[in-house]
Amino acid sequence: MPIIVNLDVMMAKRKMSLNELSEKVDLTLANLSILKTGKAKAVRFSTLEAICKALNCQPGDILEFVE
Amino acid sequence: MKSRTKQVLKILYILSWIIFIGVCIEAGGSIFSAFYTLAINSINARTFWAGNDLSGLYQYDPWHFFAETLLISIASVMKACIFYLIIKILHDKKLNMSQPFNREVKLFIIKVSCLAFGIGIFTWAGATYTDWLVKQGVKMPDTQHLRLGGADVWLFMSVTLFVIAQIFKRGIEIQSENELTV
Repeated sequence: MPIIVNLDVMMAKRKMSLNELSEKVDLTLANLSILKTGKAKAVRFSTLEAICKALNCQPGDILEFVE
Repeated sequence: MKSRTKQVLKILYILSWIIFIGVCIEAGGSIFSAFYTLAINSINARTFWAGNDLSGLYQYDPWHFFAETLLISIASVMKACIFYLIIKILHDKKLNMSQPFNREVKLFIIKVSCLAFGIGIFTWAGATYTDWLVKQGVKMPDTQHLRLGGADVWLFMSVTLFVIAQIFKRGIEIQSENELTV
């Protein structure tokens, strides 16, 4: 898929673990893992909003389009 | 899964077993009767399976008798196969009501659709063949008694199930997308 999820990069920048993020955004570890590994087929705006709030970043920092 | 759905599935499972045993006996009986008449004792044609008198057909030509009983037997065996598939899917507990759209159920519907189509074709061929034999002056029982009636219903069922299988195919895609939506 040409959309790359850079969640792990942002988490590393903010020095945040998957467990910590999972608690902050109220998502299961399994779902976060799906998103992190790029297996997700869709992301809800509410999820994106929560992640951006938790990581203090923009959606563009997490999602990237590569041809 | 709701307990009521579980109960309904349990009742369906028991009913499927009863019908499966019935159609197996019918298929086995017609095959054995045909074999017995052709290979051992031709008088048996008078009391062919389910009380049908096929002695007229046997006297007309044993090969026509063979062809007619072959069509009856194939249709009966295919009916038994349908109920075997129903029992199998209920026994293996592949019907998951929380995630109903899965590959196994799709394959099950396609298989039943193909079998229903086959039964439709064979019963139609059998009924047409019986009509032709009657026109030739052979005394034949009714197609309903020979279990060769309702070809159109089987074909209709086959087409309907095929359409449902296609809807299931799309349902599997949507369910998969839904599961992978974060």
